[in-house]
Amino acid sequence: MTVSDSAESRRAHTQLLVLRIIVYAILIFLSILCLFSFYMLFVNATRTNAQLQGGFALLPRGHFMENLRNAWTDASINIPRGLVNSFLVAGSTAVLTTYFSALTAYGIHAYDFKCKNAAFTFIMAIMVIPPQVSATGFVQLCYKYGLTNRYWPLILPGIAAPVVFFYMKQYMESVLPMEIVEAARVDGCGEFRTFNTIVLPMLKPAMAVQLIFSFVQSWNNYFLPSLLLTKAEKKTVPIMIAQLRSADYSKFDMGKVYMFILLAILPVLIVYIFLSKSIIRGVTAGSVKG
Amino acid sequence: MKKKKSISYAKWGYLFILPFFLAYFVFTFVPQALTIYNSFFENYREGLTQVGPNFVGLRNYIQLFTPDANGSIDVLKYAGNTMILWVLGAVPQIVIALLLAIFFTSYRLRIRGQQFFKTVIYMPNLIMASAFSMLFFTLFSNVGPINQIIQAMGWSDVPIDFFAKTVTVRALISLMNFLMWFGNTTILLMAGIMGIDQSLFEAANLDGANAIQTFFKVTLPLLMPILVYTVITALIGGLQMFDVPQVLTGGAGTPNRTSTTLVMFLNNYLGSSKNYGMAGAISVIIFIITGVLSMFVYRSLTKKD
Amino acid sequence: MKKCVSAFLALVMVFALVACGGGSTPAAETPAQPSTTSGSSAAPAAPAAADNGEGKVFNIYAWNEEFKGFFEKYYTVPEGVTVNWIIVPSKDGAYQNALDEALINQADAAADDKVDMFLAEADYILKYTNSEATQDVAPLGVTDFSNAYPYTVQAASDANGVVKGVSFQCCPAALIYRRSIAKDVLGTDDPVEVQALLNSWDKYEAVAAQAKAKGYYMTASEAADYRVFTNNATASWVDADNKLQFSPEVEMWMKQAESFAQNGYTVLSDIWADDCTNQMFKDGKTMCFFGPAWYFNFSMGNAQDAEKGCFGDWAICEGPAPYFWGGTWLLAATGSDNSSMLADVMNTFINNEDVCTKLVKDEAQFSNNQKVNNAAASDDAYASEFLGGQNPNTIFVELAKNIKFENQTIYDQLCNEKLQENYREYLKGSVDKDTALQNFYKAIHEAYPSIILPQ
Repeated sequence: MTVSDSAESRRAHTQLLVLRIIVYAILIFLSILCLFSFYMLFVNATRTNAQLQGGFALLPRGHFMENLRNAWTDASINIPRGLVNSFLVAGSTAVLTTYFSALTAYGIHAYDFKCKNAAFTFIMAIMVIPPQVSATGFVQLCYKYGLTNRYWPLILPGIAAPVVFFYMKQYMESVLPMEIVEAARVDGCGEFRTFNTIVLPMLKPAMAVQLIFSFVQSWNNYFLPSLLLTKAEKKTVPIMIAQLRSADYSKFDMGKVYMFILLAILPVLIVYIFLSKSIIRGVTAGSVKG
Repeated sequence: MKKKKSISYAKWGYLFILPFFLAYFVFTFVPQALTIYNSFFENYREGLTQVGPNFVGLRNYIQLFTPDANGSIDVLKYAGNTMILWVLGAVPQIVIALLLAIFFTSYRLRIRGQQFFKTVIYMPNLIMASAFSMLFFTLFSNVGPINQIIQAMGWSDVPIDFFAKTVTVRALISLMNFLMWFGNTTILLMAGIMGIDQSLFEAANLDGANAIQTFFKVTLPLLMPILVYTVITALIGGLQMFDVPQVLTGGAGTPNRTSTTLVMFLNNYLGSSKNYGMAGAISVIIFIITGVLSMFVYRSLTKKD
Repeated sequence: MKKCVSAFLALVMVFALVACGGGSTPAAETPAQPSTTSGSSAAPAAPAAADNGEGKVFNIYAWNEEFKGFFEKYYTVPEGVTVNWIIVPSKDGAYQNALDEALINQADAAADDKVDMFLAEADYILKYTNSEATQDVAPLGVTDFSNAYPYTVQAASDANGVVKGVSFQCCPAALIYRRSIAKDVLGTDDPVEVQALLNSWDKYEAVAAQAKAKGYYMTASEAADYRVFTNNATASWVDADNKLQFSPEVEMWMKQAESFAQNGYTVLSDIWADDCTNQMFKDGKTMCFFGPAWYFNFSMGNAQDAEKGCFGDWAICEGPAPYFWGGTWLLAATGSDNSSMLADVMNTFINNEDVCTKLVKDEAQFSNNQKVNNAAASDDAYASEFLGGQNPNTIFVELAKNIKFENQTIYDQLCNEKLQENYREYLKGSVDKDTALQNFYKAIHEAYPSIILPQ
């Protein structure tokens, strides 16, 4: 009995070992694929414009500091300003999008009201309209009403984010037991307070995920901001990068462009690492029981 | 009126969804409604001169479905391209993301360096699509490193023109889309699994369920809503695929427009002529296709409950 | 419950404030930039601006900072006027989109928000000169074009010959050849002798065969000489009946490209792709490139590479026909409330010899003033080391006089780009010629539905 038992556990052990090796192999392969593009970005940021014109290179060259200095001190673009601007826009958009999507999803998930199904279907329907379509019309309206060089036309539309809403709704369906809400009601907790203090903490992993995604999306957004933000001190990072790329031939410097692309990724990476911790922490917070 | 014992919470529902609808109607509704409205009009710019809007009924739609000289209907061709590109990119993406999400959350595997892997696989999503395409361009150009390797290994005497063949262009687009989005999907699914009550796994474990049984009996059913979300948003995102093929082929959808997607087609009309009539008609078609497919997927995936 | 509602509303307010606050803080933090705060114009009006009753804010639209640099160095802004630069990158058509919206809303804009002047490139300049959005500069006081190159004036004129602006630079383009390859193929690298062997398309194509026989390419892109043909087109892309047509020159290019592709005289590549630019290295096999001064000075980085390049192994000659590539025009926007300053800026950059000389001397520009350029052409100080000691201005002053800007339409940029793009697919063998042309027509139709296409 003990012999067969240990043999079985040994077999299970080997099985697990093999599985682990396979899993690590897959992970390492995918990581190399992903990191390779970053490595190339980095290598390109260490090369001069002339070297970049010559095509691909595998090894970094010694112009990293030079490119950094050139990018940082460029007279026409103010990188720190751009980073701050992008942070303001992307940060507020991410917060608004995530919070109001959760609120809307909760409104439809937790309450029974007449237009509930109609509202859900409607949001699902508008989700499938390509954003390119409304963007151009939106730009025309903004010009018509003189709303250029303001941030709120870029931020406030984030309140209505059908995709994020849909995720929150699905997430609630899988993890949010209504009993907890009922219990809170019995305790005399107001509906809005219940949402903020009991429901939101349970959604922590989902909130963190959507905060990251909407932050990144807004951070990299070029089309709308490029048409609406034309004042130098209002410009966001992608506009500045595009501006470097449309510089005239005497100032055109791809080394600088790659350096700026690299710089632009760093803040997002920090936000990601910071928030992805809370996806994991969410597990313990999520198991709060009523 | 006296207070009733049973309280209706309906108004809270309305109140909670109010900001969403307010923001939607103020910022998005007008342009979107205009889109559908415009699809029945001739409405474009030639230079700075505005032509229209003149009501033309269904003419824009008829034009879209009129076969060209070779007898093929462009909009159907582009819909086909879009579907092919989507399937090539999204199927591996969802399968691998699901696998990775299971790996990362598995108690038995206890992957070390999780934070590292999770960060790395998401990183391609942080690069702007245009910068990502620039890198792929230099990698796969006729004088790029991939071709240098191919020639050095003696696999081919002449460089392979990756951007002149339908198969290779589509493969590159799918690879890029996969790389850009699989980390994203993994995180979504992982958050879904993380949200599942841990005691259920423990209970399954105590009942002697093995990993596969646990996955199919516990994880999958509870993850289903998130999986539905993943599939549907991947479908919607796929049907709206634009930036990667646009940048990689310089907007041309080379070769012979076999990598032109529906939204690239739409974008051709919005470029210099701001042709809201035709662009509106194409959007309505995309809207219908996506709507029907999403509903089909949603129904078929949620029916089991 | 009421508490909750008010709490909710308060929260929305907070978010709204955060969002709006986010919008206003950066502006508030940077009052240091006087050029962009309209507040400074509210100060007691300076005499210069007040006297002629003109606006105090001068708005200039541009897609990069090139002209801004020259403007700030060489133009003295009248006292009391604030110059506002609205710079929108050209990527994804953002510049023209933003400019178009501003021009379309020009009539309703407040006086200080109106576009006064904007920059445009030759590729799309007609879109603006042929519209109501630009105004005749003659009544403003820009009338002397005797020193400007004729093509720069043609380009800034509308269909009736009304001039709407000026160019502050001139970009004549030449045939750029590798001296060592020319020696091998033609037995000489002297610009005059090489020019004699390449001064017509027939000779040029004959030389291509000779180059091939010696193992060289004539060009590194079948579209390298495309502009040489289209700049000299004798018919426009779209005729009076709005029908698409191929000018004899475009057809000549198509025939040449076809034969070059079949005979292996050229690399098949976009002119900006690595396949093409790699040919500029020392071990490149290509004899001819085509371009203006900015092209060989700034875009031929591979040729200038310290290790792999071939600095000094180059020279230029006029080539088969004169043409230009690039250049920036300043256009006067209708509705500007700064007429005299508009005229002053334009006159400064074409007629102020002092400023034009500085552009040539200190900024490596080929100015739009013939007198100034002619002086540079005979000055050995302008000999280019990259061109093996040749003074490019000597070639350019002659070329520039004969450049034409005729038979152009607002559709040209798209027609030229799409033809090259689709025709290359045919040349590479991805599609047959008919399909390539059908795809070309489709692209035209998507952008300009009113053009009648050949069947």
